[in-house]
Amino acid sequence: MADQSSKRLLHCVIVTPEKTVLDLKAAAVSLPLDDGSRGVAVGHAPFIGRLGTGEVRMSGVTGGGSGQTSVRTFVEGGFAEIGQNTVTIITQRAIDAGSLDPAEAAAELKRLAAEQATGDEAIEARMMAESAARERLRAARG
Amino acid sequence: MAKARALDRRRRSVRNIRKITRTMELIATARFKKAMDRSIAARDYTRQLAKILGNIASVGAGVDHPLLAVRPTQRTAVLVLTGNRGLCGGYNSNVVRQAMALLGQWSSEQVATHVTVSGKRGISALRFRKIAIDESHTSFEDKPAFAEVAPIGQAYLEAYCNGTIDRLDVVYTQFTNIAKQEAIVETLLPLKPPQQEEEEGTEKAHLASEEYDFYPSAESILEEILPASFQSRLFKCFLDAAVSEQVARMVAMKGATENASGLIRDLSRQYNRARQSQITGEIMEILGGVEALKK
Repeated sequence: MADQSSKRLLHCVIVTPEKTVLDLKAAAVSLPLDDGSRGVAVGHAPFIGRLGTGEVRMSGVTGGGSGQTSVRTFVEGGFAEIGQNTVTIITQRAIDAGSLDPAEAAAELKRLAAEQATGDEAIEARMMAESAARERLRAARG
Repeated sequence: MAKARALDRRRRSVRNIRKITRTMELIATARFKKAMDRSIAARDYTRQLAKILGNIASVGAGVDHPLLAVRPTQRTAVLVLTGNRGLCGGYNSNVVRQAMALLGQWSSEQVATHVTVSGKRGISALRFRKIAIDESHTSFEDKPAFAEVAPIGQAYLEAYCNGTIDRLDVVYTQFTNIAKQEAIVETLLPLKPPQQEEEEGTEKAHLASEEYDFYPSAESILEEILPASFQSRLFKCFLDAAVSEQVARMVAMKGATENASGLIRDLSRQYNRARQSQITGEIMEILGGVEALKK
């Protein structure tokens, strides 16, 4: 029976250049791809996708150590690889969403909004920074 | 008495030195373990990146990324990783020697070099040899953070894409295992094409069993993953250098402690002999006096 229930779970791993941030089992995962989020459940087809800035949400978590059933992690870019009921997220930065400060994220968004950008490249860079900051604020607010 | 006292004073000072080198050895051991753990923890990331790269290579996505472009070398960048502190045997001098050989080669081929040095020891050694240093860092100790290394890597990536540099070599001490660390020159840019990065054996078996869906496309992922792969290689150089420095210090301080123990043993022997002969001399003098009084 125990074997059957573990078959219905996804093995989720988040790695950063410094260490493996997270390694646990979850029933479902929501990934922030660069053009919107995608939900992943057991039996998902093998897939490699590019991540944007946003929250990785895992629900039905077991074996996380803290006893929580849902885990939210904020990531900035990177990749997700799905295969054989394993979700591997490779990112340069991963922060526990609960530890983000909403006031700080809001201040950052305000600062970016006030910034002037001229030229196509600068405007695009600012737009990207702004949407990243917005995602950050959303994650910080929960 | 003078000789015995001088010997004793020397012995005491050697004892103090031994205490210091012993402490440094213990500190280096503790730091080495921590640095080693960090280095092991970082391996997962590299392995996962290599896996994805291998998958992309297997579907045959176009590999004409600017980071893979091999150009004739006209301007090159050299990054030298040394320690901020000495007392670690040949660690710094080995790296400096490799760097000097490389720089000598470039200057004989009349290639313009952009030299970046990390670590106070390397900075002063290269300055002494009259090498113009374009950039220097002294903030990397035994715990290099990715957030600190990333801006350096980003600057190199931009310079390579702009054509400001045609090549990047990193001179650092590669950590193979606790008994073997070697100062080497590694070429990080141009990047090796993904096929060569694929790990042998296990990855291939994995590939055969699955076909991946790429989103948005294999090319777009490749575009993003190559800089990430470069950054992780650069970060690995910093981690290796940090681990090797601690190992080198550990070994050097162990040698110093053993040497001090040997010195103390010799000095003790000399001191005892000097004291004994002094006592004998004094007794002879007293006996001589007594004999003289008897007469």
